[in-house]
Amino acid sequence: MPGPQTLLSSGRLAALLLILCAALPLRADEERFSLQGFATLGASRSDSRELEFVRDLSQARGIGREWSAKIDSLAGLQTGWRLTRTLEASAQLVSRYRYDRSYVPELTWAYLKYEPWPMLSLRAGRLGTDFFMLADSRMVGYSYPTVRPPGDFFWHLPFSSIDGADLSLSRSLGDDVLRGKLFYGTTTARLPLAREHWDISGSAMAGGYLDYQSGAWQWRAGYAALRFSRDLPLSGLLAPLLPPAQLASTLAYLKTSGRRAGYYSLGLVHDRGPWLLQWMLNRIEQESAVFESSHAASFLLAYRSGSLTPYFGYSLARSSPKRERPSPLIDRIMADSHVDQRTTTLGLRWDFARNTALKLQWDGIRASPSSLFPFRNDPSSGQWSGRMNVYSLTLDYVFR
Amino acid sequence: MMRRCLFLPLLGLALLWPGSFPHAELVVVVNVRSGVSAMTRNEVINLFFGRTRVFFNGLEAQVVDLQDTHPDRGRFYRALVGKDLADVNAYWSRQLFTGRLQPPPQLRGSEEVLRWIVDHPGGIGYVDLRHADARVRVVFELGH
Repeated sequence: MPGPQTLLSSGRLAALLLILCAALPLRADEERFSLQGFATLGASRSDSRELEFVRDLSQARGIGREWSAKIDSLAGLQTGWRLTRTLEASAQLVSRYRYDRSYVPELTWAYLKYEPWPMLSLRAGRLGTDFFMLADSRMVGYSYPTVRPPGDFFWHLPFSSIDGADLSLSRSLGDDVLRGKLFYGTTTARLPLAREHWDISGSAMAGGYLDYQSGAWQWRAGYAALRFSRDLPLSGLLAPLLPPAQLASTLAYLKTSGRRAGYYSLGLVHDRGPWLLQWMLNRIEQESAVFESSHAASFLLAYRSGSLTPYFGYSLARSSPKRERPSPLIDRIMADSHVDQRTTTLGLRWDFARNTALKLQWDGIRASPSSLFPFRNDPSSGQWSGRMNVYSLTLDYVFR
Repeated sequence: MMRRCLFLPLLGLALLWPGSFPHAELVVVVNVRSGVSAMTRNEVINLFFGRTRVFFNGLEAQVVDLQDTHPDRGRFYRALVGKDLADVNAYWSRQLFTGRLQPPPQLRGSEEVLRWIVDHPGGIGYVDLRHADARVRVVFELGH
């Protein structure tokens, strides 16, 4: 006959066993669900009365001389679900200022990942693209030293995800690691254009890169090809200005559907001790008549001392005007895709608390008067002074 | 997460661990049956940053880390790559939010790390040299 004492302790033992049983299959390496997020609260202004500065071409309006939280503030939430040892599902939602001037959250990632063995990964679904080094973490401010990725390098790349699949394979070569990735899919982006937007979703995209890591050095060479699915929404804009016959030929000349764009890039990162050095080059080749082919370079040097990381950056972008100029109107439209500018960046990152960083940054943009592509609210004259200073303050946060 | 919160205090109760000599040497330790007897610094970096996920002999590595609040974590990354913890956490947030890698599980203390390594054939972690006993094999020494 068990006494009350024994009953109580066997109850305790059962509770203990229950806790242990519940805990055992869930060793820390086998956590099934995860929830993590990132956020940036930003404030920025420029000193330009002429045009508006944007973070990238997906933003409908930019900032002017008043402080604004618009271009850099965002919030993202991600969940992960480990189905088996080799199969994992994940989804990410991000709310940020968009092409339609709203902050409606967008599904930026949603995929299934299958890793049949440790050095091979296959993913399918909605995926970020990183054929330009670091392009797939552009929204996670906490993950890089600067306030935002270098504009001269990245604003060409308004699309950040594809619906498709990718395959990556790594291989150790002694102390070094070689990694390759291939992807195929269709883009999901919409770009603002005057009062309308250009839906480039459904544009087929394929590409890949090779990445070589040797000690503190990392090299990357990437390529991607895009075929635009649709024409620019220009007919509404041009119809009142042109007689029907001329309208048709003008629209045919400015056709983008079926035209290709090629993205070449090289990147080099040195990351060891207090120093971080990043150097990237890209070349974008545009087949359509309306966009100019361009190249860009960016350089960043950062030095960490305790919780402070001062940094210096320099970037440039230049496009080559097309030789053919069939009419003044077409010329004016094509002039909108011209870029010729340099940006000097100075800033300070302060990691004042765990998973939280405060950043202060100055960007000095010096451009040719016709460098209009990266900006919004272009002056009707098609020219501007070519000098702009941008002041930014951001607070980045991640939780996991 | 909830369950881990219950599990770890139980472990912690079972094993009260003295740890108050902050200047002893840190060592990288592996499971004694892993077939690994020594590693280079770059091999250790490659595994702890998820660049490779297997040992030279093809065995899948199961890396284990310490929680941010544990003083050995900061010492380890400073000695290994000269990086502050904020840099290491920024690196992992990039891997995590781009769906490439999950950061290694972070345990509370050296005894949990040793148990993990005993339980996982590919287990690899770091502990203070004083805690590295016969249950594990030292494959790399980080110096003071």
